[in-house]
Amino acid sequence: MSAHYTVSATPDAREAGAVTQTVASLPATFGPAPAGHPGTADVLVIAGGPGWTAEACSAVSAGARGIVVANPVPEDTTELAAAADAAGTAVVLDLRWASNPALVGETPDAREAVRSALGTASLLDSVATAGPGTDPRRLLGEHLAALLAVTGALDGVGVLRSDATGYTVSGRLANGAPFTAQGVLTAARRSGVDIRLYTADGGVAIQVPDPDAAWPAEVRVTGTHGELFLPTLYESAHRSAWRRLKDHLSAGTRPDDLAGFARLTDLYATLAAT
Amino acid sequence: MSHHTAPADRPLGVGILGAGPVTQAIHLPALARLRDILEVRHIMDVDPAVASSVAARVGATSSTSMDALLGDHDVDIVAICSPHQFHADQVIAACRAGKKAVLCEKPFAMNAGEATRISAVSTETGVPIVVGAMHTFDPGWLAAEQNWGDLPEQVHTIRSSIVLPPNARFEDFATEIVTRPATGRPDYSDIDVIKAALQGGIMGLAIHDLPLVRRFTPDFADIEVLQVSHIRPFGYSVSLRTPTRVIELRAVMNGTWKPEWTFEAIADDSALRIDFTPSYVQAGSAVATFTCGNGSETTIFGPYGHNGYEGEWRELAELARGTRQAPSAQTLIDDLTFALAIADATVASAAAGHPDAAEKAGVSA
Repeated sequence: MSAHYTVSATPDAREAGAVTQTVASLPATFGPAPAGHPGTADVLVIAGGPGWTAEACSAVSAGARGIVVANPVPEDTTELAAAADAAGTAVVLDLRWASNPALVGETPDAREAVRSALGTASLLDSVATAGPGTDPRRLLGEHLAALLAVTGALDGVGVLRSDATGYTVSGRLANGAPFTAQGVLTAARRSGVDIRLYTADGGVAIQVPDPDAAWPAEVRVTGTHGELFLPTLYESAHRSAWRRLKDHLSAGTRPDDLAGFARLTDLYATLAAT
Repeated sequence: MSHHTAPADRPLGVGILGAGPVTQAIHLPALARLRDILEVRHIMDVDPAVASSVAARVGATSSTSMDALLGDHDVDIVAICSPHQFHADQVIAACRAGKKAVLCEKPFAMNAGEATRISAVSTETGVPIVVGAMHTFDPGWLAAEQNWGDLPEQVHTIRSSIVLPPNARFEDFATEIVTRPATGRPDYSDIDVIKAALQGGIMGLAIHDLPLVRRFTPDFADIEVLQVSHIRPFGYSVSLRTPTRVIELRAVMNGTWKPEWTFEAIADDSALRIDFTPSYVQAGSAVATFTCGNGSETTIFGPYGHNGYEGEWRELAELARGTRQAPSAQTLIDDLTFALAIADATVASAAAGHPDAAEKAGVSA
């Protein structure tokens, strides 16, 4: 029989990470901490607003075996990574779109499709959609996290515009081809991110929905063979993050989420400076 | 000038200036679907072999001079499908020849002065002019127009995205091409080649959708270019804005088999997306989709049975018969000046000489 881990979340974290329903979908592994003893839970869930890294460091110090950060904003994770390594704490980031299992994790995934096509890329064009009133800078962070998850790197990134209706960002892929990322704030469409990579003879088209339901991302690879529709995964980004935490806790390994997130933080810092 | 009247039960005669791939693969197949109202009677091309070969396919007269075609009394409607630089003079000549209607492939002029001159001649002669912006005649677009309510006033974001294989793929589905123009391998280390490619991209490809963009951009005269990238092997990424609108133009022509041609107009609470069928093939109309309620409510119009090219020929026939009012000359001029402003600003941005622009344009390694 596998180990069972207790979970505690602040109200903000519970809402941001849809923790109750997600934990309920992994009932053999996770369950709520006994009422009145939240501080002794095996896994602590933290909302990813400003200051989340300090809160996570405190959780590491308090002896948490696992930490889930719900939708973190870009922050310097150096100190947290060192503390988690020293304590053997598994820190998993539950990212709005980048944690979708169709992007990274299952095989074949969108990352594999994109990276094998990057050599002949001519343009990457991406649009993130969210409701009016969304903070464009926060949306941009979530958008860039999804792009970095599949491309691995983005160069020369600059913000062309950012206002109450969204933003436009441009830069280059590793082979020098241009990329654009546009944020559009509207209640007319379902929130999500659309990523289109165009290559010499086709490309990759990715549509990632919000994690508030288990509707699957769609990944299509077009080439001389025709079009390959990758297997759909009816699992939300939230559950995918928690399943990874389960795997790491079971195996005694530590995820590389913080190292990957540092790339986003570095990129975001350069944008903030422009 | 010699207006003559065709019997109402006889198809109107069509004469075409220029018999290249667009004439062969787009107009002749579209006209073949309209034989009860339109009949191709004269084909002119500077290459006599092409003119006679293409004319023979449709049982038309052939010639190598514009004057011969304009002097042909069997021709009621003139279609101008020649290289861009000849359009203005040929439109004016067709009007002065007393034809009943003129179709001019886009762009119908290369500058605002030419456009104004054409407009004056059209007014003077009373000959209606249609510019071949085929998407504005597509039944999917027209259905959207009838149902979009106040969306044009509410929109804040407009996107045109065009992904196409090389033209030859669809030309070969549409017809058997005679004498396809040779294509070279552009030297993209030369900024002038990139500038020409961007100019051609805007005035030859984006121009299909710029009249649509303008319908949603009331302050179209106040346009600003935010970024320009040249896409290899052919295409562009252009970000624009006006004081009230964000406009994103994308185009990629690569070796894909899968065409995707979309136009989107997005407001806070509602959005329109139009998926157009590829040119050349008779694949029916675009599909227009309105969404609201976070995508939970969708209204779809189309597909209908014919595309915008056939739509523009149907309209030409009605104009020539006098059963429809001619389009506003000011609309045509505004569409043209909008396209020219974007093309000029795009080229200027790419040529600005700052390292970023040059690098994004693929000039430096």
